[in-house]
Amino acid sequence: MLNTAIDNDRFALLHGSIDTAAIARDVRAEHDGAVVTFDGFVRNKSYGRRTLYLEYEAYEPMALAKMREIAQSIHEKFTIHRLAIVHRLGRLEVGETSVFIAVSAPHRAAAFDACRFAIDALKRTVPIWKKEFFEDGAVWADGELPPAPPSASKPAS
Amino acid sequence: MLAGHAASGYNFSVPPALSNLRLKVLFFGRLRELTGIAEESLEIRAGATLADVFDQYATRFPNLVSFRSSLVPSRNEEFAPWDSTISDGDTIAFLPPVSGG
Repeated sequence: MLNTAIDNDRFALLHGSIDTAAIARDVRAEHDGAVVTFDGFVRNKSYGRRTLYLEYEAYEPMALAKMREIAQSIHEKFTIHRLAIVHRLGRLEVGETSVFIAVSAPHRAAAFDACRFAIDALKRTVPIWKKEFFEDGAVWADGELPPAPPSASKPAS
Repeated sequence: MLAGHAASGYNFSVPPALSNLRLKVLFFGRLRELTGIAEESLEIRAGATLADVFDQYATRFPNLVSFRSSLVPSRNEEFAPWDSTISDGDTIAFLPPVSGG
Protein backbone atom coordinates (compact mmCIF):
# COMPACT_ATOMS: atom_id res chain seq x y z
CA MET A 1 0.00 0.00 0.00
CA LEU A 2 1.16 3.50 -0.78
CA ASN A 3 2.52 5.23 2.27
CA THR A 4 1.63 8.89 2.11
CA ALA A 5 2.72 9.77 5.64
CA ILE A 6 4.87 12.81 6.20
CA ASP A 7 7.02 10.72 8.58
CA ASN A 8 9.04 9.41 5.67
CA ASP A 9 9.75 12.87 4.31
CA ARG A 10 13.03 14.66 4.81
CA PHE A 11 13.58 18.34 5.61
CA ALA A 12 17.03 19.75 6.11
CA LEU A 13 19.10 22.91 6.23
CA LEU A 14 22.72 22.12 5.46
CA HIS A 15 25.85 24.17 5.86
CA GLY A 16 27.77 21.94 3.49
CA SER A 17 27.15 20.79 -0.07
CA ILE A 18 23.96 18.91 -0.93
CA ASP A 19 24.32 15.32 -2.12
CA THR A 20 21.58 15.54 -4.72
CA ALA A 21 22.04 12.02 -6.07
CA ALA A 22 21.68 10.47 -2.61
CA ILE A 23 18.50 12.45 -1.89
CA ALA A 24 16.93 11.50 -5.23
CA ARG A 25 17.80 7.86 -4.55
CA ASP A 26 16.50 7.87 -0.96
CA VAL A 27 12.95 8.95 -1.87
CA ARG A 28 12.51 5.94 -4.18
CA ALA A 29 10.67 2.77 -3.26
CA GLU A 30 9.54 -0.28 -5.22
CA HIS A 31 5.93 0.83 -5.43
CA ASP A 32 6.93 4.17 -6.96
CA GLY A 33 7.05 4.74 -10.68
CA ALA A 34 8.58 8.20 -10.83
CA VAL A 35 10.87 10.63 -9.08
CA VAL A 36 10.80 14.31 -10.02
CA THR A 37 13.56 16.56 -8.70
CA PHE A 38 14.22 20.28 -8.68
CA ASP A 39 17.82 21.42 -8.47
CA GLY A 40 18.17 25.15 -7.84
CA PHE A 41 21.74 26.43 -8.14
CA VAL A 42 23.62 29.69 -8.10
CA ARG A 43 23.39 31.64 -11.37
CA ASN A 44 26.42 33.59 -12.52
CA LYS A 45 24.55 36.86 -12.87
CA SER A 46 21.67 38.82 -11.42
CA TYR A 47 19.99 41.61 -13.39
CA GLY A 48 23.03 41.86 -15.65
CA ARG A 49 25.59 42.04 -12.81
CA ARG A 50 28.13 39.28 -12.45
CA THR A 51 27.55 37.34 -9.24
CA LEU A 52 30.66 36.44 -7.22
CA TYR A 53 28.91 34.33 -4.59
CA LEU A 54 25.79 34.18 -2.44
CA GLU A 55 25.16 33.90 1.26
CA TYR A 56 22.00 32.33 2.63
CA GLU A 57 20.69 32.55 6.16
CA ALA A 58 17.53 31.13 7.72
CA TYR A 59 15.37 31.32 10.78
CA GLU A 60 16.21 27.66 11.11
CA PRO A 61 13.53 26.16 13.39
CA MET A 62 10.80 28.13 11.63
CA ALA A 63 12.15 27.26 8.18
CA LEU A 64 12.02 23.56 9.02
CA ALA A 65 8.51 23.96 10.43
CA LYS A 66 7.38 25.70 7.23
CA MET A 67 8.91 22.97 5.07
CA ARG A 68 6.95 20.46 7.10
CA GLU A 69 3.74 22.48 6.53
CA ILE A 70 4.41 22.50 2.79
CA ALA A 71 4.83 18.73 2.89
CA GLN A 72 1.59 18.38 4.81
CA SER A 73 -0.31 20.31 2.10
CA ILE A 74 1.39 18.28 -0.61
CA HIS A 75 0.32 14.98 0.93
CA GLU A 76 -3.24 16.34 1.11
CA LYS A 77 -3.26 17.58 -2.51
CA PHE A 78 -1.24 15.02 -4.45
CA THR A 79 -0.86 11.24 -4.46
CA ILE A 80 2.83 11.09 -3.77
CA HIS A 81 5.04 8.81 -1.72
CA ARG A 82 8.01 10.68 -0.31
CA LEU A 83 9.20 14.26 -0.38
CA ALA A 84 12.62 15.67 0.43
CA ILE A 85 13.30 19.40 0.74
CA VAL A 86 16.89 20.40 1.43
CA HIS A 87 18.23 23.96 1.46
CA ARG A 88 21.81 25.00 1.88
CA LEU A 89 22.94 27.92 4.08
CA GLY A 90 26.12 29.96 4.29
CA ARG A 91 28.34 30.91 1.37
CA LEU A 92 27.66 29.34 -2.03
CA GLU A 93 29.70 29.70 -5.19
CA VAL A 94 28.33 29.98 -8.73
CA GLY A 95 26.99 26.60 -9.91
CA GLU A 96 26.48 25.13 -6.43
CA THR A 97 23.08 23.74 -5.49
CA SER A 98 21.20 25.97 -3.03
CA VAL A 99 17.96 24.01 -2.90
CA PHE A 100 17.06 20.47 -3.85
CA ILE A 101 13.61 18.92 -3.87
CA ALA A 102 12.78 15.31 -4.70
CA VAL A 103 9.34 13.75 -4.90
CA SER A 104 8.52 10.11 -5.51
CA ALA A 105 5.11 8.92 -6.61
CA PRO A 106 3.45 5.98 -8.34
CA HIS A 107 2.74 8.20 -11.37
CA ARG A 108 4.59 11.12 -12.93
CA ALA A 109 1.83 13.75 -12.97
CA ALA A 110 1.53 13.91 -9.19
CA ALA A 111 5.31 13.97 -8.81
CA PHE A 112 5.67 16.91 -11.24
CA ASP A 113 2.80 18.84 -9.64
CA ALA A 114 4.05 18.25 -6.10
CA CYS A 115 7.61 19.24 -6.95
CA ARG A 116 6.43 22.49 -8.56
CA PHE A 117 4.16 23.21 -5.61
CA ALA A 118 7.03 22.60 -3.18
CA ILE A 119 9.52 25.00 -4.76
CA ASP A 120 6.88 27.71 -5.31
CA ALA A 121 5.67 27.45 -1.71
CA LEU A 122 9.24 27.42 -0.39
CA LYS A 123 10.05 30.64 -2.23
CA ARG A 124 6.92 32.28 -0.81
CA THR A 125 6.78 31.11 2.79
CA VAL A 126 10.02 29.60 4.12
CA PRO A 127 12.08 32.12 6.12
CA ILE A 128 15.37 31.97 4.24
CA TRP A 129 17.24 35.01 2.94
CA LYS A 130 19.78 35.40 0.17
CA LYS A 131 22.48 38.04 -0.06
CA GLU A 132 24.09 38.52 -3.46
CA PHE A 133 27.72 39.61 -3.66
CA PHE A 134 28.93 41.46 -6.76
CA GLU A 135 32.23 43.05 -7.69
CA ASP A 136 30.93 46.45 -6.62
CA GLY A 137 28.87 45.59 -3.55
CA ALA A 138 26.24 43.31 -2.08
CA VAL A 139 22.44 43.36 -1.81
CA TRP A 140 19.78 41.33 -0.06
CA ALA A 141 17.58 39.80 -2.77
CA ASP A 142 14.14 41.39 -3.09
CA GLY A 143 12.22 38.28 -2.13
CA GLU A 144 8.53 37.72 -1.52
CA LEU A 145 6.52 38.85 1.45
CA PRO A 146 4.82 35.82 3.01
CA PRO A 147 1.04 36.23 3.20
CA ALA A 148 0.19 37.95 6.49
CA PRO A 149 -2.33 36.17 8.66
CA PRO A 150 -5.60 38.00 9.32
CA SER A 151 -5.77 40.46 12.16
CA ALA A 152 -6.17 38.96 15.63
CA SER A 153 -9.01 41.34 16.46
CA LYS A 154 -11.20 40.00 13.66
CA PRO A 155 -13.33 37.04 14.68
CA ALA A 156 -12.59 33.91 12.71
CA SER A 157 -15.21 33.34 10.05
CA MET B 1 2.79 47.95 60.64
CA LEU B 2 2.03 44.85 58.62
CA ALA B 3 2.27 42.64 61.69
CA GLY B 4 -0.32 44.86 63.33
CA HIS B 5 -2.75 44.32 60.46
CA ALA B 6 -2.22 40.59 60.63
CA ALA B 7 -2.71 40.61 64.37
CA SER B 8 -5.94 42.55 64.03
CA GLY B 9 -7.21 40.05 61.47
CA TYR B 10 -7.32 42.76 58.80
CA ASN B 11 -7.17 41.20 55.33
CA PHE B 12 -4.55 43.35 53.66
CA SER B 13 -4.80 42.42 49.98
CA VAL B 14 -2.11 43.59 47.61
CA PRO B 15 -3.14 44.25 43.99
CA PRO B 16 -1.39 41.86 41.59
CA ALA B 17 1.80 43.38 40.24
CA LEU B 18 1.64 44.34 36.54
CA SER B 19 4.73 42.36 35.79
CA ASN B 20 6.58 42.79 32.52
CA LEU B 21 6.76 40.07 29.91
CA ARG B 22 10.09 38.63 28.92
CA LEU B 23 10.57 38.00 25.21
CA LYS B 24 13.23 36.79 22.86
CA VAL B 25 13.48 38.97 19.75
CA LEU B 26 15.27 37.84 16.59
CA PHE B 27 16.42 39.75 13.52
CA PHE B 28 17.43 38.32 10.16
CA GLY B 29 18.92 39.48 6.89
CA ARG B 30 18.89 43.21 6.27
CA LEU B 31 17.21 43.85 9.63
CA ARG B 32 19.97 42.01 11.47
CA GLU B 33 22.49 44.18 9.65
CA LEU B 34 20.53 47.37 10.30
CA THR B 35 20.09 46.77 14.03
CA GLY B 36 23.32 44.89 14.63
CA ILE B 37 21.21 42.43 16.64
CA ALA B 38 20.70 38.77 15.83
CA GLU B 39 18.95 37.93 19.09
CA GLU B 40 18.22 39.70 22.35
CA SER B 41 15.98 39.54 25.39
CA LEU B 42 13.42 42.26 25.88
CA GLU B 43 11.01 43.16 28.64
CA ILE B 44 7.75 44.82 27.73
CA ARG B 45 4.54 45.63 29.59
CA ALA B 46 1.83 43.00 29.80
CA GLY B 47 -0.77 43.43 27.06
CA ALA B 48 1.73 44.61 24.46
CA THR B 49 1.27 43.58 20.83
CA LEU B 50 3.80 42.70 18.15
CA ALA B 51 3.34 46.22 16.79
CA ASP B 52 4.29 47.65 20.19
CA VAL B 53 7.49 45.63 20.20
CA PHE B 54 8.32 46.83 16.70
CA ASP B 55 7.63 50.45 17.71
CA GLN B 56 10.03 50.10 20.60
CA TYR B 57 12.78 48.99 18.20
CA ALA B 58 11.82 51.68 15.71
CA THR B 59 12.48 54.25 18.44
CA ARG B 60 15.93 52.77 18.96
CA PHE B 61 16.59 52.32 15.24
CA PRO B 62 14.65 54.98 13.27
CA ASN B 63 15.73 53.41 9.96
CA LEU B 64 13.49 50.45 10.75
CA VAL B 65 10.35 52.52 10.20
CA SER B 66 10.62 52.42 6.40
CA PHE B 67 10.69 48.60 6.52
CA ARG B 68 7.47 48.25 8.53
CA SER B 69 5.20 47.71 5.49
CA SER B 70 7.50 45.07 3.99
CA LEU B 71 7.80 42.85 7.06
CA VAL B 72 5.75 40.01 8.43
CA PRO B 73 6.06 39.39 12.15
CA SER B 74 6.34 35.92 13.60
CA ARG B 75 5.46 34.72 17.06
CA ASN B 76 6.82 31.37 18.24
CA GLU B 77 7.78 30.35 14.69
CA GLU B 78 4.38 31.15 13.15
CA PHE B 79 3.50 34.15 11.01
CA ALA B 80 1.34 36.36 13.21
CA PRO B 81 -0.75 39.51 12.77
CA TRP B 82 0.71 42.80 14.04
CA ASP B 83 -2.05 43.17 16.61
CA SER B 84 -1.53 39.80 18.29
CA THR B 85 -0.89 40.05 22.00
CA ILE B 86 2.34 38.77 23.42
CA SER B 87 2.67 36.15 26.13
CA ASP B 88 5.54 35.75 28.55
CA GLY B 89 8.37 33.72 27.04
CA ASP B 90 7.38 34.33 23.40
CA THR B 91 9.98 34.35 20.66
CA ILE B 92 9.31 37.13 18.20
CA ALA B 93 10.87 38.04 14.88
CA PHE B 94 10.22 40.62 12.18
CA LEU B 95 10.79 38.85 8.91
CA PRO B 96 11.86 40.59 5.69
CA PRO B 97 10.53 39.27 2.37
CA VAL B 98 11.86 35.74 2.01
CA SER B 99 14.27 34.88 -0.80
CA GLY B 100 15.16 31.22 -0.47
CA GLY B 101 15.47 28.91 -3.43
